[in-house]
Amino acid sequence: MNGCEDKVASIERWLDGELSGAESESLRVHMVACAGCSEARRRLEKLQSTLTDVLLSEAQPVDFMPFWRAVQLRINEKRPWYQDALDWMRGVLPASRLAWVVPAVIALLLAGVSLESYWRGGRNAFATVESIDAYGRNVALLREYDTKTTVIWLYQDQEGENEAAEETAPSGPAF
Amino acid sequence: MELTDRELVQRCQAGEMSAFQELVSRYHQKVYMVIFGLLRNREDALDVAQETFFRAHRKIGGFQGGSSFYTWIYRIAVNLSIDAQRRQKRNPLDFRESMDDLLESQGEAARDPFADLHDKELREKLTSAINDLTPEHKAVIVLRTIEGLSYKDIGEILGCSEGTVMSRLHYARKKLQDKLSAFL
Repeated sequence: MNGCEDKVASIERWLDGELSGAESESLRVHMVACAGCSEARRRLEKLQSTLTDVLLSEAQPVDFMPFWRAVQLRINEKRPWYQDALDWMRGVLPASRLAWVVPAVIALLLAGVSLESYWRGGRNAFATVESIDAYGRNVALLREYDTKTTVIWLYQDQEGENEAAEETAPSGPAF
Repeated sequence: MELTDRELVQRCQAGEMSAFQELVSRYHQKVYMVIFGLLRNREDALDVAQETFFRAHRKIGGFQGGSSFYTWIYRIAVNLSIDAQRRQKRNPLDFRESMDDLLESQGEAARDPFADLHDKELREKLTSAINDLTPEHKAVIVLRTIEGLSYKDIGEILGCSEGTVMSRLHYARKKLQDKLSAFL
Protein backbone atom coordinates (compact mmCIF):
# COMPACT_ATOMS: atom_id res chain seq x y z
CA MET A 1 0.00 0.00 0.00
CA ASN A 2 2.93 2.27 -0.76
CA GLY A 3 1.79 5.87 -1.12
CA CYS A 4 -1.78 4.99 -0.13
CA GLU A 5 -1.57 5.64 3.63
CA ASP A 6 -3.88 8.65 3.31
CA LYS A 7 -6.46 6.45 1.56
CA VAL A 8 -7.26 4.53 4.77
CA ALA A 9 -9.19 7.50 6.16
CA SER A 10 -11.14 7.71 2.88
CA ILE A 11 -11.91 3.98 3.02
CA GLU A 12 -13.29 4.47 6.55
CA ARG A 13 -15.45 7.40 5.41
CA TRP A 14 -16.63 5.33 2.45
CA LEU A 15 -17.61 2.40 4.72
CA ASP A 16 -19.39 4.90 7.02
CA GLY A 17 -21.34 6.30 4.05
CA GLU A 18 -19.74 9.72 4.36
CA LEU A 19 -18.25 10.04 0.84
CA SER A 20 -20.05 11.69 -2.06
CA GLY A 21 -21.00 9.64 -5.13
CA ALA A 22 -18.03 10.84 -7.18
CA GLU A 23 -15.56 10.27 -4.34
CA SER A 24 -16.97 6.80 -3.73
CA GLU A 25 -16.64 5.85 -7.38
CA SER A 26 -13.06 7.11 -7.55
CA LEU A 27 -12.11 5.17 -4.42
CA ARG A 28 -13.86 2.03 -5.64
CA VAL A 29 -11.88 2.12 -8.90
CA HIS A 30 -8.67 2.63 -6.94
CA MET A 31 -9.37 -0.32 -4.61
CA VAL A 32 -9.89 -2.67 -7.56
CA ALA A 33 -6.38 -1.87 -8.77
CA CYS A 34 -4.62 -1.56 -5.37
CA ALA A 35 -4.10 -4.77 -3.39
CA GLY A 36 -2.98 -2.84 -0.29
CA CYS A 37 -6.12 -0.71 -0.16
CA SER A 38 -8.28 -3.72 -0.90
CA GLU A 39 -6.68 -5.50 2.07
CA ALA A 40 -7.16 -2.38 4.27
CA ARG A 41 -10.85 -2.40 3.33
CA ARG A 42 -11.17 -6.12 4.18
CA ARG A 43 -9.56 -5.57 7.59
CA LEU A 44 -11.81 -2.60 8.35
CA GLU A 45 -14.92 -4.52 7.33
CA LYS A 46 -13.89 -7.45 9.53
CA LEU A 47 -13.25 -5.09 12.47
CA GLN A 48 -16.61 -3.42 11.96
CA SER A 49 -18.55 -6.67 11.77
CA THR A 50 -16.80 -8.03 14.89
CA LEU A 51 -17.47 -4.80 16.75
CA THR A 52 -21.13 -4.86 15.77
CA ASP A 53 -21.42 -8.50 16.76
CA VAL A 54 -19.79 -8.00 20.17
CA LEU A 55 -21.49 -4.72 21.06
CA LEU A 56 -24.97 -5.77 19.97
CA SER A 57 -24.94 -9.37 21.18
CA GLU A 58 -23.89 -8.45 24.71
CA ALA A 59 -26.59 -5.85 25.29
CA GLN A 60 -29.62 -7.80 26.43
CA PRO A 61 -33.15 -6.40 26.01
CA VAL A 62 -34.55 -4.19 28.77
CA ASP A 63 -38.12 -4.76 29.96
CA PHE A 64 -39.97 -1.50 29.65
CA MET A 65 -42.30 -1.53 32.67
CA PRO A 66 -39.70 -2.12 35.41
CA PHE A 67 -37.47 0.44 33.68
CA TRP A 68 -40.27 3.01 33.53
CA ARG A 69 -41.19 2.44 37.18
CA ALA A 70 -37.56 3.05 38.19
CA VAL A 71 -37.52 6.31 36.16
CA GLN A 72 -40.83 7.39 37.75
CA LEU A 73 -39.40 6.68 41.19
CA ARG A 74 -36.48 9.02 40.48
CA ILE A 75 -38.81 11.70 39.14
CA ASN A 76 -41.03 11.57 42.24
CA GLU A 77 -38.16 11.26 44.69
CA LYS A 78 -37.13 14.40 46.58
CA ARG A 79 -33.37 14.69 46.18
CA PRO A 80 -31.20 16.45 48.76
CA TRP A 81 -30.17 20.00 47.77
CA TYR A 82 -26.47 19.12 47.59
CA GLN A 83 -27.20 16.44 44.97
CA ASP A 84 -28.74 19.09 42.73
CA ALA A 85 -25.80 21.42 43.44
CA LEU A 86 -23.32 18.66 42.51
CA ASP A 87 -25.24 17.89 39.31
CA TRP A 88 -25.20 21.58 38.43
CA MET A 89 -21.46 21.79 39.14
CA ARG A 90 -20.77 18.77 36.94
CA GLY A 91 -22.75 20.34 34.13
CA VAL A 92 -21.04 23.71 34.39
CA LEU A 93 -17.56 22.40 35.19
CA PRO A 94 -16.72 19.26 33.24
CA ALA A 95 -13.38 17.59 34.08
CA SER A 96 -11.59 19.29 31.18
CA ARG A 97 -12.43 22.73 32.62
CA LEU A 98 -11.43 21.79 36.17
CA ALA A 99 -7.76 21.75 35.12
CA TRP A 100 -8.07 25.51 34.53
CA VAL A 101 -10.46 26.27 37.36
CA VAL A 102 -8.28 24.90 40.19
CA PRO A 103 -5.20 27.11 39.51
CA ALA A 104 -7.50 30.06 38.76
CA VAL A 105 -9.21 29.68 42.17
CA ILE A 106 -5.81 29.44 43.92
CA ALA A 107 -4.61 32.58 42.10
CA LEU A 108 -7.81 34.42 43.08
CA LEU A 109 -7.43 33.38 46.73
CA LEU A 110 -3.81 34.57 46.79
CA ALA A 111 -4.84 37.84 45.17
CA GLY A 112 -7.60 38.21 47.76
CA VAL A 113 -5.20 37.64 50.66
CA SER A 114 -2.68 40.10 49.21
CA LEU A 115 -5.36 42.75 48.70
CA GLU A 116 -6.67 42.24 52.20
CA SER A 117 -3.25 42.79 53.77
CA TYR A 118 -2.79 45.89 51.55
CA TRP A 119 -6.13 47.43 52.60
CA ARG A 120 -5.45 46.73 56.24
CA GLY A 121 -2.79 49.45 55.94
CA GLY A 122 0.43 47.66 56.52
CA ARG A 123 2.29 44.42 56.49
CA ASN A 124 1.57 41.78 59.04
CA ALA A 125 4.66 39.79 58.19
CA PHE A 126 8.24 40.45 57.26
CA ALA A 127 10.89 38.24 55.69
CA THR A 128 14.44 38.90 54.54
CA VAL A 129 17.56 36.96 53.63
CA GLU A 130 21.02 38.51 53.97
CA SER A 131 24.48 37.18 53.18
CA ILE A 132 26.76 37.59 56.17
CA ASP A 133 30.18 36.66 54.82
CA ALA A 134 32.13 35.71 51.73
CA TYR A 135 31.75 31.98 52.35
CA GLY A 136 28.10 31.68 51.44
CA ARG A 137 26.74 31.95 54.94
CA ASN A 138 23.36 33.62 55.20
CA VAL A 139 20.80 34.66 57.71
CA ALA A 140 17.07 34.54 57.04
CA LEU A 141 14.70 36.45 59.24
CA LEU A 142 10.94 35.90 59.30
CA ARG A 143 8.70 38.02 61.49
CA GLU A 144 4.94 37.54 61.92
CA TYR A 145 3.53 40.57 63.72
CA ASP A 146 0.07 39.27 64.61
CA THR A 147 1.39 36.32 66.60
CA LYS A 148 4.65 38.09 67.54
CA THR A 149 6.66 35.18 66.15
CA THR A 150 10.21 35.62 64.94
CA VAL A 151 12.24 32.92 63.20
CA ILE A 152 15.96 33.37 62.60
CA TRP A 153 17.52 30.82 60.30
CA LEU A 154 21.25 30.56 59.71
CA TYR A 155 22.48 28.45 56.83
CA GLN A 156 25.28 28.03 54.32
CA ASP A 157 24.96 27.82 50.54
CA GLN A 158 26.16 24.60 48.93
CA GLU A 159 27.74 26.69 46.18
CA GLY A 160 29.45 28.98 48.71
CA GLU A 161 30.76 25.92 50.48
CA ASN A 162 32.40 24.67 47.27
CA GLU A 163 33.91 28.05 46.56
CA ALA A 164 35.17 28.18 50.11
CA ALA A 165 36.78 24.75 49.67
CA GLU A 166 38.44 25.78 46.41
CA GLU A 167 39.86 28.86 48.06
CA THR A 168 40.95 26.75 51.03
CA ALA A 169 39.51 29.34 53.33
CA PRO A 170 39.85 28.78 57.02
CA SER A 171 36.76 27.34 58.60
CA GLY A 172 34.54 30.00 60.09
CA PRO A 173 32.49 29.93 63.20
CA ALA A 174 29.96 27.11 63.34
CA PHE A 175 26.34 28.09 63.51
CA MET B 1 -51.91 8.27 14.19
CA GLU B 2 -48.55 8.06 15.92
CA LEU B 3 -47.28 11.35 17.31
CA THR B 4 -43.84 12.62 16.30
CA ASP B 5 -41.07 13.14 18.86
CA ARG B 6 -41.54 16.91 18.59
CA GLU B 7 -45.26 16.65 19.35
CA LEU B 8 -44.56 14.39 22.31
CA VAL B 9 -41.96 16.84 23.61
CA GLN B 10 -44.50 19.68 23.36
CA ARG B 11 -47.00 17.61 25.35
CA CYS B 12 -44.32 16.85 27.96
CA GLN B 13 -43.64 20.57 28.24
CA ALA B 14 -47.35 21.05 28.91
CA GLY B 15 -47.02 18.56 31.81
CA GLU B 16 -48.42 15.42 30.17
CA MET B 17 -46.66 12.49 31.84
CA SER B 18 -48.01 9.90 29.39
CA ALA B 19 -46.22 11.73 26.56
CA PHE B 20 -42.95 11.39 28.44
CA GLN B 21 -43.68 7.71 29.05
CA GLU B 22 -44.12 7.27 25.30
CA LEU B 23 -40.73 8.93 24.64
CA VAL B 24 -39.09 6.64 27.21
CA SER B 25 -40.69 3.60 25.61
CA ARG B 26 -39.39 4.68 22.19
CA TYR B 27 -35.80 5.30 23.27
CA HIS B 28 -35.05 3.30 26.42
CA GLN B 29 -33.60 0.32 24.57
CA LYS B 30 -31.43 2.41 22.23
CA VAL B 31 -30.20 4.61 25.04
CA TYR B 32 -29.42 1.55 27.16
CA MET B 33 -27.49 -0.07 24.27
CA VAL B 34 -25.30 3.00 23.82
CA ILE B 35 -24.64 3.28 27.55
CA PHE B 36 -23.94 -0.45 27.84
CA GLY B 37 -21.49 -0.15 24.93
CA LEU B 38 -19.63 2.50 26.89
CA LEU B 39 -19.77 1.00 30.38
CA ARG B 40 -19.78 -2.75 29.59
CA ASN B 41 -21.76 -3.53 32.73
CA ARG B 42 -25.51 -4.18 32.82
CA GLU B 43 -26.28 -2.84 36.29
CA ASP B 44 -24.28 0.36 35.75
CA ALA B 45 -25.82 0.81 32.29
CA LEU B 46 -29.37 0.45 33.63
CA ASP B 47 -28.66 2.94 36.42
CA VAL B 48 -27.21 5.50 33.99
CA ALA B 49 -30.06 4.95 31.51
CA GLN B 50 -32.66 5.64 34.24
CA GLU B 51 -30.72 8.71 35.35
CA THR B 52 -30.62 9.88 31.70
CA PHE B 53 -34.42 9.90 31.46
CA PHE B 54 -34.77 11.47 34.89
CA ARG B 55 -32.46 14.34 33.79
CA ALA B 56 -34.31 14.60 30.49
CA HIS B 57 -37.63 14.93 32.34
CA ARG B 58 -36.19 17.65 34.56
CA LYS B 59 -34.73 19.62 31.65
CA ILE B 60 -37.39 19.06 29.01
CA GLY B 61 -39.04 22.39 29.79
CA GLY B 62 -35.93 24.14 28.45
CA PHE B 63 -35.61 21.94 25.36
CA GLN B 64 -35.92 24.33 22.43
CA GLY B 65 -36.04 21.78 19.63
CA GLY B 66 -32.89 23.12 17.97
CA SER B 67 -31.73 19.52 17.62
CA SER B 68 -33.76 16.35 17.40
CA PHE B 69 -34.94 14.68 20.60
CA TYR B 70 -32.76 11.62 20.01
CA THR B 71 -29.51 13.61 19.65
CA TRP B 72 -30.48 15.55 22.81
CA ILE B 73 -31.20 12.40 24.84
CA TYR B 74 -28.03 10.70 23.54
CA ARG B 75 -26.03 13.78 24.56
CA ILE B 76 -27.30 13.45 28.13
CA ALA B 77 -26.66 9.68 28.07
CA VAL B 78 -23.12 9.97 26.68
CA ASN B 79 -22.15 12.74 29.13
CA LEU B 80 -23.43 10.72 32.10
CA SER B 81 -21.70 7.60 30.76
CA ILE B 82 -18.38 9.39 30.35
CA ASP B 83 -18.65 10.62 33.96
CA ALA B 84 -19.52 7.10 35.13
CA GLN B 85 -16.69 5.65 33.07
CA ARG B 86 -14.18 7.94 34.71
CA ARG B 87 -15.43 6.79 38.10
CA GLN B 88 -15.31 3.18 36.84
CA LYS B 89 -11.66 3.65 35.78
CA ARG B 90 -10.84 4.56 39.34
CA ASN B 91 -12.65 1.46 40.55
CA PRO B 92 -12.33 -1.07 37.72
CA LEU B 93 -14.34 -4.27 37.35
CA ASP B 94 -12.94 -7.53 36.12
CA PHE B 95 -14.32 -7.39 32.59
CA ARG B 96 -12.95 -10.77 31.60
CA GLU B 97 -14.87 -12.37 34.41
CA SER B 98 -18.10 -10.64 33.41
CA MET B 99 -17.53 -11.71 29.80
CA ASP B 100 -17.13 -15.36 30.85
CA ASP B 101 -20.38 -15.16 32.81
CA LEU B 102 -22.12 -13.68 29.82
CA LEU B 103 -20.86 -16.30 27.37
CA GLU B 104 -21.89 -19.04 29.77
CA SER B 105 -25.35 -17.54 30.15
CA GLN B 106 -25.73 -17.47 26.36
CA GLY B 107 -24.92 -21.18 26.12
CA GLU B 108 -21.65 -20.67 24.22
CA ALA B 109 -20.07 -23.68 25.92
CA ALA B 110 -22.26 -26.09 23.96
CA ARG B 111 -20.74 -25.21 20.56
CA ASP B 112 -17.65 -26.40 18.65
CA PRO B 113 -14.77 -26.03 21.14
CA PHE B 114 -12.19 -24.81 18.57
CA ALA B 115 -14.50 -22.20 17.09
CA ASP B 116 -15.50 -21.24 20.61
CA LEU B 117 -11.91 -20.79 21.70
CA HIS B 118 -11.12 -18.49 18.77
CA ASP B 119 -14.38 -16.59 19.12
CA LYS B 120 -14.02 -16.22 22.86
CA GLU B 121 -10.43 -15.06 22.56
CA LEU B 122 -11.35 -12.54 19.89
CA ARG B 123 -14.25 -11.23 21.99
CA GLU B 124 -12.05 -10.97 25.06
CA LYS B 125 -9.34 -9.15 23.12
CA LEU B 126 -11.89 -6.81 21.59
CA THR B 127 -13.57 -6.12 24.93
CA SER B 128 -10.20 -5.37 26.49
CA ALA B 129 -9.17 -3.19 23.51
CA ILE B 130 -12.44 -1.22 23.65
CA ASN B 131 -12.00 -0.76 27.37
CA ASP B 132 -8.51 0.67 26.83
CA LEU B 133 -9.87 3.48 24.62
CA THR B 134 -10.46 6.89 26.18
CA PRO B 135 -14.14 7.70 26.95
CA GLU B 136 -14.26 10.11 23.98
CA HIS B 137 -12.85 7.55 21.53
CA LYS B 138 -15.11 4.83 22.88
CA ALA B 139 -18.11 7.13 22.47
CA VAL B 140 -17.55 7.67 18.72
CA ILE B 141 -17.05 3.94 18.13
CA VAL B 142 -20.20 3.02 20.05
CA LEU B 143 -22.42 5.70 18.48
CA ARG B 144 -21.20 4.78 15.00
CA THR B 145 -21.34 1.00 15.48
CA ILE B 146 -24.52 0.57 17.50
CA GLU B 147 -26.63 3.41 16.18
CA GLY B 148 -24.98 3.90 12.77
CA LEU B 149 -25.18 7.66 13.29
CA SER B 150 -23.67 10.09 10.80
CA TYR B 151 -20.56 12.12 11.67
CA LYS B 152 -22.80 15.19 11.87
CA ASP B 153 -25.13 13.62 14.45
CA ILE B 154 -22.22 12.23 16.46
CA GLY B 155 -20.62 15.69 16.43
CA GLU B 156 -23.88 17.21 17.70
CA ILE B 157 -24.12 14.66 20.50
CA LEU B 158 -20.50 15.03 21.58
CA GLY B 159 -20.33 18.79 21.01
CA CYS B 160 -17.47 18.63 18.50
CA SER B 161 -16.94 19.11 14.76
CA GLU B 162 -17.39 16.45 12.07
CA GLY B 163 -13.62 16.60 11.47
CA THR B 164 -13.00 15.75 15.12
CA VAL B 165 -15.44 12.84 14.91
CA MET B 166 -13.63 11.56 11.82
CA SER B 167 -10.19 11.79 13.39
CA ARG B 168 -11.38 10.18 16.66
CA LEU B 169 -12.94 7.31 14.71
CA HIS B 170 -9.76 6.85 12.68
CA TYR B 171 -7.58 6.83 15.80
CA ALA B 172 -9.89 4.46 17.70
CA ARG B 173 -10.09 2.00 14.80
CA LYS B 174 -6.34 2.06 14.36
CA LYS B 175 -5.90 1.28 18.06
CA LEU B 176 -8.37 -1.60 17.85
CA GLN B 177 -6.76 -2.97 14.67
CA ASP B 178 -3.31 -2.86 16.24
CA LYS B 179 -4.52 -4.86 19.25
CA LEU B 180 -6.46 -7.37 17.12
CA SER B 181 -3.92 -7.70 14.30
CA ALA B 182 -3.60 -11.48 14.85
CA PHE B 183 -7.34 -11.97 14.34
CA LEU B 184 -8.17 -9.64 11.45
